[in-house]
Amino acid sequence: MMTSFFDQFASPYLLGIPLILVAMLLPWLLFPAPTSRWINNRLITVQTWLTGRFTNQLMTPLNFSGHKWALLFASLMVFLITINLLGLLPYTFTPTTQLSLNMGFAVPLWLATVIIGMKNQPTIALGHLLPEGTPIPLIPALIIIETISLFIRPLALGVRLTANLTAGHLLIQLIATAVFVLLPMMPAVAILTASVLFLLTLLEVAVAMIQAYVFILLLSLYLQENI
Amino acid sequence: MLSRLVLVSGHSLKNSGSFGACLVQAPRSFHQSSQSLAPVPPLPEKGGKVRHGIFPEEIFTMLYPKTGVTGPYMLGTGLLLYLLSKEIYVINHETIAGASIGAVIIYAVKKFGPSVAAFADKLNADKIAKAQEVKDQSMASYAQGIENEKKEQWRVEGRSMLFDAKRNNVAMLLEINYRERLHMVTNEVKKRLDYQVELQNLHRRMEQEHMVNWVEQSVVKSITPQQEKESIAKCISDLKVLAESTQARATV
Repeated sequence: MMTSFFDQFASPYLLGIPLILVAMLLPWLLFPAPTSRWINNRLITVQTWLTGRFTNQLMTPLNFSGHKWALLFASLMVFLITINLLGLLPYTFTPTTQLSLNMGFAVPLWLATVIIGMKNQPTIALGHLLPEGTPIPLIPALIIIETISLFIRPLALGVRLTANLTAGHLLIQLIATAVFVLLPMMPAVAILTASVLFLLTLLEVAVAMIQAYVFILLLSLYLQENI
Repeated sequence: MLSRLVLVSGHSLKNSGSFGACLVQAPRSFHQSSQSLAPVPPLPEKGGKVRHGIFPEEIFTMLYPKTGVTGPYMLGTGLLLYLLSKEIYVINHETIAGASIGAVIIYAVKKFGPSVAAFADKLNADKIAKAQEVKDQSMASYAQGIENEKKEQWRVEGRSMLFDAKRNNVAMLLEINYRERLHMVTNEVKKRLDYQVELQNLHRRMEQEHMVNWVEQSVVKSITPQQEKESIAKCISDLKVLAESTQARATV
């Protein structure tokens, strides 16, 4: 059986047990719950501060009724960031490279925002389909275009995350293979490629964090439009 | 799971009022039930000691009696070489990728580790400082209260002097008033007496004038016309003699 570069994205099974559940539980194990102490240790202090800061910043543009999404957004953000960052370690499986997972997050949340908008303020929600100041002959075409863009949103959300992570991981594997193969033949070129790999890894760390943040940010934006 | 992390960290979120209703944990706080283990032992302030970032110090102390200082290092190297030579661990492209991410992690920890730790310490220190400030302020206000009370007690001691001075003042005022009234009474009495004196003087003067007038009138009445002619003729003869004498004196 030929191993290919895409084997890293196959959902792992051990004796028929899907290990993706373990992979998705792992982030929870890494964050200790804040104690009932007044002063905690450094890890809990920093973690609490980060979560608080992030949630504060995310909830600022939302009005008060949007604040009940704070829990969902904050926990989803921590989850996605941790999964993405853990996937950069060797021999790990990244659940967010599975399109099924990302669509499973994107579609229900996006649909929830749309339904909230349609239920509470249908006129305004439908009004988003027509930007202000469009010339009258363009109105029918623009409404169709805006509807298509509305329905493409969950697809974009899911595929964006999947594609970024998959592409990043593939690139890392490819360049690492290049280094590995070049090492006995042309060590100098191998070292050059290794430096490229180092920079790429830095980029991938950034991408991992940014993509998770963008996912949540866009969801909060969609919520802002419809709340 | 993760939501519980966010939930409990919601205790320290600034605007936590909006999701207070989402708290699921039953609060068993303040040592009310018998299950509490008060006083709660303190948490360790720093994490366990590690060597080279990942290996706990306990491994080294555990192996030291039997294998000395180099024991754990020999164990590690031996393990690594065993895994590599028996190809239990195969070197492939993942190794290179792992080395790369390892380099990134080590670089990040070495560069940002101390500052993050200092930041966490600062957050905690700020929290403690705020509480300490409250305590210090209330202590300062109490000390100030004590000083104010002492000052008031000192003021009370000087109260008797104040009363004496006031009493003197009042006595002086009374004395002045009495003297004024006495003076006024004297003046009034003197005025009455002066009036009587003036009255007597007036009487005497009037009597005197009346007597003089009466004497004059009786003298004038007693002068007969004969006497009057004689006196006038005497006056004329005297005047003539006087004129002659002055004339003689003038020519001399």
